[in-house]
Amino acid sequence: MSRYATNAQEKVFIRRRLEAVAGLVAVGFLLLTIRAIDLHYLQADELQAMADKQHFRQFETAAPRGPILDTHGRTLSESIEVPSIAAIAREVPEADIAKLADALGISEKRLVKKLNRNKGFVWLARQISPATAEKVMALHIDGVRQETEWRRYHPLGPEIGHLLGFVGIDGDGLEGVERNFNATLAGTPGIRLVQRDARGHSLPGGSWLKDPTMGRTIRLSLDSTIQSIAYAALADGIRQQNAKGGSVVVMRPKDGAIVAMANWPGFNPNSFGNHKPGEWRNRVITDVFEPGSTLKPFAIAAALDSGKWKPESRVFCENGKYQVGSHTIHDDHQEGWLDLTGLISRSSNIGIAKVALDIGSERLYNMLAEVGFERRSGIGLSGESPGIIPPIGRWGAVETANIAFGQGIAVTPLQLATAFCVLANGGNYVAPKLLAEQEPGKMHRVMPEKTARTITAMLEAATGPNGTGSNAVPAGYRVAGKTGTAQKPSSDGSYADDKFTAVFAGFAPADNPELVVIVVIDEPQKSIYGGQVAAPVFRNIVATALPYLGISPSQTETPQWQLLNTSLSDNSDIASRNSLIRLSLREARKIASARGFQLRTHGTGWISRQEPHSLDSIVSGEMVEVWLDE
Amino acid sequence: MISRKLSTALVLGSVALLATAQVWLSHIRYELSLETSRIQKEQSELKREMHQLNLELASLTRPERLRKIAQTELGMAPPLPMQVIRP
Repeated sequence: MSRYATNAQEKVFIRRRLEAVAGLVAVGFLLLTIRAIDLHYLQADELQAMADKQHFRQFETAAPRGPILDTHGRTLSESIEVPSIAAIAREVPEADIAKLADALGISEKRLVKKLNRNKGFVWLARQISPATAEKVMALHIDGVRQETEWRRYHPLGPEIGHLLGFVGIDGDGLEGVERNFNATLAGTPGIRLVQRDARGHSLPGGSWLKDPTMGRTIRLSLDSTIQSIAYAALADGIRQQNAKGGSVVVMRPKDGAIVAMANWPGFNPNSFGNHKPGEWRNRVITDVFEPGSTLKPFAIAAALDSGKWKPESRVFCENGKYQVGSHTIHDDHQEGWLDLTGLISRSSNIGIAKVALDIGSERLYNMLAEVGFERRSGIGLSGESPGIIPPIGRWGAVETANIAFGQGIAVTPLQLATAFCVLANGGNYVAPKLLAEQEPGKMHRVMPEKTARTITAMLEAATGPNGTGSNAVPAGYRVAGKTGTAQKPSSDGSYADDKFTAVFAGFAPADNPELVVIVVIDEPQKSIYGGQVAAPVFRNIVATALPYLGISPSQTETPQWQLLNTSLSDNSDIASRNSLIRLSLREARKIASARGFQLRTHGTGWISRQEPHSLDSIVSGEMVEVWLDE
Repeated sequence: MISRKLSTALVLGSVALLATAQVWLSHIRYELSLETSRIQKEQSELKREMHQLNLELASLTRPERLRKIAQTELGMAPPLPMQVIRP
C-alpha cells in the first residue's frame, strides 16, 4: 500500500518536474521570440545603421566649381585638381617625422604641431604641386595619404581680379563674382560608399551614393580683350601721372552690359593672401568720388527739360568769380557770355550754377535721381555703394549751385557710366548687367529724346578743338564726353588743397554709341585736369576697342593708308625728324605712320604750324595736330 | 540500366558544364570590372587634363601676353585709323 502510494507520489513528482522544465523551456522560447522580435523589428533600423557603420564608410568628395567665362567663352576662372597631403595623426611613426617634414618642405616643429592638433585626420599640406606630393608618397609612411582637392585658377590674374574675386581653400567664393554667384558656381559634393573588412581596412570597389556634380558655368558680359585694353590703358595713364590709383568702366549702352571693369593697382586673385583686404575691393562699385564737371550735362538736361532754357540761351559767366550766399564760385578760365553748349565745352562752374539756381533744386535733384545717382544699380555684386546725395530738404542755394557742377555729391564710377548710358541711349535708362545670358533690364525713358540728342551734341563740342576734352578723341572717330576735376575731401571734412580726382566720362562713336567709358584717376601728380589726365586714357581705350568691335573710323580725311606700302626705311630723316613744318601732308603722314603717332590736319597745302612743337617726346598712339597753309 | 547510367552522366556532364560556364562568367565579370574601372580612371584623368589644358590655353592667349609678343617679338603696333579699312 505504502509502496503503491510512494510510486504514485513519485510519478506526480516527475510529471511536475517535467512540466516545470517544459514550462521553463517555453518561457525561454518566449523570451527568445520576444528578443528576436525586438532585435529584428523593433530595434532593426538602429542596429542596421550601427552595423553599416562598421561595415561601410562614407566619404564626401568635393565637386569642382563651374568655370567663369567671358562673353566669347574664354576662360576667366577654372578649377583644376591638385594633390593635398593628409594624415591620420596617431598612425604616423615618430621615426619618420624628420623625413616627412623634409619632403613636405616644412620645418619639423611645424609638422609636429600639425600632427598634435588632432589624433585623427589632419591636413599636412594643401593644394601642393604634383611633384611634391609624389615625393611624399614615395616615402610610404604609415598613416600618410594623398587626397585630391580642387583649386581655382584665374588665368587673367590682376587684370580682372577685383571683379572676379577669389575662392578660399575650402572652395567657397569669398569675394566678387565668385562670392556673389557662389550658389550657381559651387558643385554638389559626391558621397562614396566603401565596404570595410573586420579590421577596418577598405575593400576594393565601392559605389557612389551620389555622384559629385560640377557647378554650373557662368558667362559674363565682359569681353576679356577690352578688359585687357582698359587695364593696360589705365595702368599707362596712372604711371605717366604718378597717380595713386584709378578705375575704368566700359559699358555697352544698348543693353547695359558691362564690357570691362578695371581698377589700378591690380589685385591677383591667384595669390590673394599677398594682398591686404583693402586691396580686394572692386572700387568701381564700392568707392565714391565727387564727379566734378562730369555732372554738368545732367544739370543742363534738367534745365532743357524745364522748358525755361534752350540750347542757344546765354548766361553771363561773371568773368570767373561769382558770389552765392557766403560762398564764392570760381572758374578756371574767365568767361563772359556763353550759350549752354559753351557752358559744357568751356566747363564753366559759374554758368552752370546760375542755370541750376534758376531752375531750382527740385528739378536738378529729380534728374540726378532719375538717371540713377542715388540708388544701387543692382548689378548683383555685394558691397555696392548707393552714392551720396544730400537729402533734398538740405539743399540751399550754395548746395544747389555746388551739386550742379559735381561738388558736395558723391557717385560710383558705375553710377556715372549708367547715367552716361542714358545720354547715349537717347534718354532711356538701362540697368547695368553682368551676365551674358541675362535679359537686359527694361529700358525706361527718363528724359526726352530731343534733350538727350542736344546734350550729346554739346558733349561732342566739348571734345572738339576748343573743348576741354579734345585729348579724348582718337583720329577717325566722333566722341561725346565731358572732363571733370574734383578736389578730394580730406579727413576733417574740408577739401584737400593738393588732392584731386581727374575724370573723363563719355561715349563713342557719338552718332551711334557702342561704348560708354568712364575713367577715374585718383590723385594724379603731374596735372590735375581730367582733360589732360583721364581723357588720353579714354582715347587709348576707344582707339583700340572700336576697331576690335568692327567699327570703322569715319575717314573724313583723305585715306592715305596706301602710303604704308611705300618703302620708308631708306629715309633716315623719318626716325630723327623733330618737326613737320614745311613738309607736305603726304610726307607728314609717312612720318606719322612710321613713328606710330596720329595726325590731325587743318587746311591744305604745306605744314606751317604743329602742336606740340617738338616730336621728340611723342610716343606711339599720341596725337599731333598740324595746320597747313597754301 | 544503360539509360540510367546515361542519364546520370548527362546530369553530371551538364552540372560540370554549368559550373565551368559559371567560372568563366565570373572571370569575364571580373575582367570587365577591371576594364570599367580602368576606363573610369582614364576618363577622370582626361577630364582633369582638359581642365588643365583649358586653363593653359586661357593663360597662353591672355590678351596682355599676346600684346606683348606682338609688340616686342613681331614688331607690331596698334593700327592707325587710316590703316583700319574693314575691321
